[in-house]
Amino acid sequence: MKLTRATLTWLFLAIVILPFVWIVFNSFKPGNEIISHPWSLPKSPNFANYVNAWTKSEFSKYFVNSLVTVIMTLAILIPISAMASYVLAKFPFRGSKLILSGFSAGMIVPQFLAIVPLFMLAQMLHLYNTQLGLILIYVAFSLPFTVFVLFGFFQILPDELIESASVDGASHAQTFWRVMLPLAKPGLLVALIFNIIGLWNEYSLALVLISDTDKYTMPVGMGRIMMTQQYQGDWGALFAGMVIVMVPLMIVYFVFREKIQQTMVAGAVKG
Amino acid sequence: MKRGGGWFRFAFLAPAMGLYGLLFLYPVAQAFFMSLFNWSGLSDNREYVGLKNFQDLAKDKIFVGAIQHNLIIFVGCGIAVLLIAIVVAHLLQGNGRLTKALRASYLLPHMVSMVIVAVMWRFIFNPTLGPVTIIAKALGVKDPPAWLGDTKTALLCVMVAFIWYGFCFYSMLFAAGIKGIPEEIYEAADLDGVRPWQRFRQITWPLLWSIKRMTLTHVAIATMNMFALVQLMTAGGPNRSSEVMLTYLYETGFSNSDFGYATALATVNLVVVLAVAGVINFIYRRNPSGGRDS
Repeated sequence: MKLTRATLTWLFLAIVILPFVWIVFNSFKPGNEIISHPWSLPKSPNFANYVNAWTKSEFSKYFVNSLVTVIMTLAILIPISAMASYVLAKFPFRGSKLILSGFSAGMIVPQFLAIVPLFMLAQMLHLYNTQLGLILIYVAFSLPFTVFVLFGFFQILPDELIESASVDGASHAQTFWRVMLPLAKPGLLVALIFNIIGLWNEYSLALVLISDTDKYTMPVGMGRIMMTQQYQGDWGALFAGMVIVMVPLMIVYFVFREKIQQTMVAGAVKG
Repeated sequence: MKRGGGWFRFAFLAPAMGLYGLLFLYPVAQAFFMSLFNWSGLSDNREYVGLKNFQDLAKDKIFVGAIQHNLIIFVGCGIAVLLIAIVVAHLLQGNGRLTKALRASYLLPHMVSMVIVAVMWRFIFNPTLGPVTIIAKALGVKDPPAWLGDTKTALLCVMVAFIWYGFCFYSMLFAAGIKGIPEEIYEAADLDGVRPWQRFRQITWPLLWSIKRMTLTHVAIATMNMFALVQLMTAGGPNRSSEVMLTYLYETGFSNSDFGYATALATVNLVVVLAVAGVINFIYRRNPSGGRDS
């Protein structure tokens, strides 16, 4: 019994880890070695693939595009979601429940339902094929989850804090920025982590809304390189590119692993 | 909470509501509207056709095939994920070093982009240098199929990739579910001399009903809305053998600019998702032990 348990654990560990290890190994091999020895350790590790991916395959461009898009989205998304969920949690009014369900409904609506009209709307508003457009649309599509999470965190903060702040003469806005927002830090962190993961990996919207290859984000650029690389045979750069895409997420994962797992369980059980 | 602050409420809500309304709710609502028109290209040329797009979809062999593929993927992945997740969830319960290593890394596949998953599995299924082919040859298969390039195996390969991506997440749910079962139930069973397999059959598995419901609902939504994985692994091919609803939607909408037809397809997609989720939640509508009492 103990033996099978250990064997199974090894098996699943291998299934999870080996594909990643394989990518990393191949990213250090020249293209012909990948084809002749796809399984072996790299004979002599070389970084040429990384240089190629970064310069020739224009991964650097995609990387910067992704970075800017994610950071700008978060810079808009987090404050406006926090403000909205604060009001919905702490200053309910007639119709505020309806607004909250309006936001929450977005979590069940499949993205693709909106994608064709969104494509046309973006063209009409001159947001098509612009980074600003992608950012604003990412904000809109990330609001349901973010408002939902932050609402939960604001709700559990005691009302007395707001009252005592107002007794001290603070305005609503001051109370929010100076007292409540700092107290909601755990919620902000959860919202931040999950949005980073989601936005860094986002593919469909970026594929549809950006046509100019210079403006591609990492996932779309990655897909494009895979399609074109097939004919050029430079697979080494593709493997290096995959490592470049994954590294930021691996870092986020290993730093916040506990929090990510807790939130995922809580989110799934509630939802 | 004290009254007043109407202006502050408005100012705090307006940015989020404005962006959400304009760039999310409005296009969603428009999708239903657009599906009633024959609308092609970027011109303003549109013609009201009522439900014709939907009638055409029902007759469209490619689309009907795509729904079937979605359902096959859901059923296959659903069963596989339930079986794998319950095993991994048990493995995660221990406290040994190996268990800890698994617990540290098992969510990794769920972190990476579907694009990476797709590219990775394209290599794994590569007919000349991919590990799957090499293993098949080593096992004595003389003429292994071209995997992603073969109409018989393409869909199966996509399913394998999805299971690899997803099983860890569901294992985590099952692990949490097992932890949530009260110790006393197991203690009572031990006193009655219940053997491990029976213990699993009669206690653990039935008591995880809400986790099973959650998992299957989640798998249903994910597989019905599958896009990047299929598009990048097979692009729906060969010969449409792995076409799914959303790859076909992408083709009709963005390659053929047939916007009315594409939005009708998106609407049907939503209906299918809701129907499948509804069936799952009906099957698992209540606690089986509660059912026995009444």
